[in-house]
Amino acid sequence: MSKPLKQRPAQGPTGGVYKVDALKDLAESLNITLPDAVASALASDVEYRIHQVVEEAARFMRHGRRTTMTASDIDNALRVLNIEPLYGHTPYNPATFRRALPFPQSTSAGPVYFVEDEEIDFDRVLREEKITLPKGVTWNAHWLAVEGVQPLIPENPPAIPREAAPDPNAPAPDGTLANVMSADGKTSQAVPQVNGGSLPGANLAAANSKLTQQQQQQLVKQVLSRELQLYYARLTGSLLPPTSDFAKRTAALASLRSDAGLQALLPYLIRWVAEGVVGALKEGAHTDADGKVLEVLMDVVSALLENHALFVEPYLHQILPPVLSTLLHSSLPPSHATQLRTAAAQTLSRLLTQHSTTYPSLSPRIMKTLLLALISPGKNKGTREGAIRGLVGVGKEAVRKGLVEGGGAKVVSSECKNSSSRESVALLNTAMEALQVLQPPPSDMTDSLNRENPADHAIITKLVDLVGEHFAARIANDSAWAREIVGIAPTDS
Amino acid sequence: MSAATPSSSHSPAAAASPANASQEVAPSLSPYDQAILDYLRARGHHDAEKAFLQEVVEGRTPDDKTKPPEEIGKDEFIRTLAVFAQKNSRPGENQLKDSGTVLQELTSMGNPSAIQNLIASIGAVGSEEVIAADPTDREEGFRELEAWVDGSLDMYRPEFRPILFPIFCHFYLDLIQKGFKDAAQKFYSTFSGSLLASHSATLHHLSTLLLPAHVQNDELAQRFMNEKYAIKMSRSGLSLLVGWLTEAFGGEAMGSGAGFVGEQGKRGRVAVMAVVNNHLSFQMTSTNPTAVSPNAWEESTGLLSSLIPQASGSTTNLTNPQAFNTGKGDLKLGPAPISEDLRTETERVIREQALLDREPVPYDIQMTRTNIPQGLVAPTEADLLPHPPTFKTIDIEREVSAVRDARKRIRLEPSALNNIDPNSSQATLQRSRALPSICAYTLHDVTEGSPCMTFSQDTSLMAAGFAESYIRIWNLKGDKLRGFRSDFQASSVKDVASLQKIREKKGSTTRKLIGHSGPVYSVAFDPICGSAAPPKYLLSGSADATVRLWSMDTLTNVVAYRGHENPVWDVKWSPMGIYFATGSRDRTARLWSTDRTTCLRIYAGHLSDVDCVQFHPNSLYLATGSSDWTARLWDVQRGTSVRVFIGHQAPVSCMAMSPDGRYLATAGEDLAINLWDLGSGKRIKKMTGHNSSIYSLSFSAESSLLVSGGADWTVRCWDVKGAGGLKTKAGENGVVEAVNRGSRNEETQGTSADLLATFPTKRTPITNVQFTPRNLCLAGGVYLSPEQR
Repeated sequence: MSKPLKQRPAQGPTGGVYKVDALKDLAESLNITLPDAVASALASDVEYRIHQVVEEAARFMRHGRRTTMTASDIDNALRVLNIEPLYGHTPYNPATFRRALPFPQSTSAGPVYFVEDEEIDFDRVLREEKITLPKGVTWNAHWLAVEGVQPLIPENPPAIPREAAPDPNAPAPDGTLANVMSADGKTSQAVPQVNGGSLPGANLAAANSKLTQQQQQQLVKQVLSRELQLYYARLTGSLLPPTSDFAKRTAALASLRSDAGLQALLPYLIRWVAEGVVGALKEGAHTDADGKVLEVLMDVVSALLENHALFVEPYLHQILPPVLSTLLHSSLPPSHATQLRTAAAQTLSRLLTQHSTTYPSLSPRIMKTLLLALISPGKNKGTREGAIRGLVGVGKEAVRKGLVEGGGAKVVSSECKNSSSRESVALLNTAMEALQVLQPPPSDMTDSLNRENPADHAIITKLVDLVGEHFAARIANDSAWAREIVGIAPTDS
Repeated sequence: MSAATPSSSHSPAAAASPANASQEVAPSLSPYDQAILDYLRARGHHDAEKAFLQEVVEGRTPDDKTKPPEEIGKDEFIRTLAVFAQKNSRPGENQLKDSGTVLQELTSMGNPSAIQNLIASIGAVGSEEVIAADPTDREEGFRELEAWVDGSLDMYRPEFRPILFPIFCHFYLDLIQKGFKDAAQKFYSTFSGSLLASHSATLHHLSTLLLPAHVQNDELAQRFMNEKYAIKMSRSGLSLLVGWLTEAFGGEAMGSGAGFVGEQGKRGRVAVMAVVNNHLSFQMTSTNPTAVSPNAWEESTGLLSSLIPQASGSTTNLTNPQAFNTGKGDLKLGPAPISEDLRTETERVIREQALLDREPVPYDIQMTRTNIPQGLVAPTEADLLPHPPTFKTIDIEREVSAVRDARKRIRLEPSALNNIDPNSSQATLQRSRALPSICAYTLHDVTEGSPCMTFSQDTSLMAAGFAESYIRIWNLKGDKLRGFRSDFQASSVKDVASLQKIREKKGSTTRKLIGHSGPVYSVAFDPICGSAAPPKYLLSGSADATVRLWSMDTLTNVVAYRGHENPVWDVKWSPMGIYFATGSRDRTARLWSTDRTTCLRIYAGHLSDVDCVQFHPNSLYLATGSSDWTARLWDVQRGTSVRVFIGHQAPVSCMAMSPDGRYLATAGEDLAINLWDLGSGKRIKKMTGHNSSIYSLSFSAESSLLVSGGADWTVRCWDVKGAGGLKTKAGENGVVEAVNRGSRNEETQGTSADLLATFPTKRTPITNVQFTPRNLCLAGGVYLSPEQR
């Protein structure tokens, strides 16, 4: 009897629900033979009447605040339509329809259903069965929402899990790190900051990432204990501004270097560093104060990396931008420039030695960034210097690749050929220092290359070709060094 | 009408041109005009005759002359008509026999004169030959029409789509009426698909009509046959339609067929034209068709003429609900006045209490003075329903507690949520300010269902009506419900203490009230005590057609109000008590007073059941929602309908009035909540998001938030003031998600932007939501255990 009202099937009335055959069967059972036309008209009419009753019953269902039609709805509908109700149907025990076995004579008749009529033995029922009264209606109350938030209590349905958003903060090193780092948008964040020209864009990107970070942090909703929050406030307060007490700062850095319980604070600290670096660099970074700020921040990063209790790897891609920015920024405060770049390069070096084993594509990526800064035209001398320092930090092979094979030394020497400014000198010195990494361990016998010697001459030509006149002249003094750079195994000549 | 008609030479029938309009009677004149002419001639009024003829021929009515002349291709019209006349094809339904009346009607509708010419010439043919022997004509005609509508320009398509539905219905009914049952069913199954989305209920009903006798007896079918289906259309749209009907040009999609070709195509076109002429009435709009919102058609399309009440004495059928609403003048929607004595007394009590409680801040006396919101006219005491001239202690207590409630109310400001990033930190703070706390009362172990539920205003009592014909009340505070005994000596009652003595000794926190003989569909506590004290009376309406008044003192039935002939669907107290209103299946709403057993007023006019009733906060007006898909606002005292709200596409299931008296919210079985402005009768917005029937609506005390509960087991919060429209997606568990999350699933597709939050329950259809005077939201429902069907 029950019939779901919602989502009525979109079928037309073709054929009708009440079949002509059914009507004919009924007529035959009453010993009446119906002509086809009459039967079909009657079937149509019966169907119409059924629909009338059902539509009426639907109103009772609606006002009964139900979505399922019950026998009582039909009863009520029949009553208001002034038709005698059908007795014997109650919503308590709905009629069960059973399908009859297929009738062998006429297979085309289709399935036949009948109502199962169970026989009840009164004696047995009265004697044996205990009839239990249904429980009375009870109520309970609960908070469906408290100030617009649904409390997670057993009475409320469980929260629907939100679909996994790409969340870089989640400690899932394989997937997310690769995901974010390979996304060109992220790695290039460090690059635009290198050439000072496109700084606004970089800021925008940084601001964007800050925003998304914020959002994601809200989504993750990591609850920091009050103690940690206090600690964080004290820590950052004692580190910056750099004019504060030196002893305090040392203590703070020491705490960062060694304390074990800082994992929960790590994302916040890294964000704080990143924001600090961006802030300092954005303002032009010419004043001493800015330099000091950057210095402290670099110290913080290296302290964090030194802390063995911290699991830094998931946050690598967030540590790298500030480090690389410091390293490669065009105009660091002159008083601190060298120191800062050295510190940044050292941090980078430490980072790589610690993590390049578990994250193999890290050093190639950094290499690429550094190379770009070193070789591509139009870069500032400061940037080039930083890049060289970075390469030194990455390692010997990196220096060879960048300065010698990549032509970095040539670029540097050609740029500094005719200038004797402080910057050029510093840059040349840095490059020289970097090249010295390639210098084999000093032996007591250092002989210079002989121009007369054809083999040596070839080496010199090649050297000039690789590193340019300036460096070639200086390197030529040590033949083993030169051979090392050119890539010829030292021969015993 | 000075255009010469080239084709008139070989078609005298269509010669509606001045060339033939000589002193002799033009053959094109309709019988109606002919009769007038004959009369004038017989009486010898030659001048009048001449003038009349002139007028008839020049331009049917003076109205026509004001029409812009360039909009119609009259020549083309008449030319095509001439072709038709020649072919002697069927001119239309038999209604067209008397083209004069049609003409008149069309004239009164203000259609372009082109159509009138069309009709005039068709009428002149006067052929009653029926070519409908071939039912495929209609199929062909509808296919062509659908192809044309779908192929029309984007800017016209929303305008043209509503035409399909009435034409479909008429074709189907025509086929049924002519006895082509199989053809009708084929027609239905072929073409109903695209229309089912928006008209499933009506179409389903029509599909059950299979015999001519059904069409004759069915109410909806008769409405289709006898009433005009109103359609709003721009002038340019209509001229395109007319052009297509006559010439089969314009708006054709590429490759969708070359229009009506061949004999059958023409007959199909004639069939479409016949329906357009006889059963559609076009309302001209000057607005740009693209500027119309997608839901606007709901308000001005349909068989409207009988839905809009007729002003007494006037014979014109209004087809525009706005015209009716504006014609009824302004309403007094301001708050009801309080008598001066009652107010001074209330102020005195408040001041005393403030002193007594040593409250640091005395209650704001001004709170008792109701300030009238801007733009609303407040009624005077004379406008109100008659009430006892003196006030009682309980009245003062009620007013005092109303002031206290207003002070302690939780303010809900959903507008604060606008322009706030849902993920930012302020959002959580703002949400707590914008959204209410909801306390859900769930009934368990209900065997046959509980159609209604209500809470008293002081939240001390809860009542539920059950399908098993009884009502159960619970004391929510845990106190025992003890009624007065009936075996006492009247002389023994002297004071309050002795009155307490005659209460029953035993009692429980719940009580069953037995008296009805059918499912109880509505219960309501009386509002006289307000939030100051437990209510004294309970009203209930039932399928046994009675309304019963139950005393909460004796816990027995006091009065049975008989008068309705059919189940009473809804009963509501007037905001000041004493009076109450009922809505019933007998298509009337009635006003009663508790002290009379017969009703005071009958509000008749709805075409179907009155499903819900709701008083205006100042008790001057009564809103009714009906199964005829409309809601109306009645003047309680005069009994006349003052506003009609057309826009739902299904029966109206429940409604709520905003406490500030400005808005009416109605929820329909089309799963939409419509918000109406009472003053203008216009729809403000349509709110969608529920995916099953909506059972209950309630406004917060500031009228800024609307809460709805329904059969989809959720309670939803809506921003009343916010802009609607389908835009954002709100997640479950009250999480408002970012907009750019991408479509999550289909369920959130049809959700409008003003849905603030959704709070799902486990398996409880919410039958009642209501706000307490302090803006706590109470929700009630019956838990639906999974094994229950």
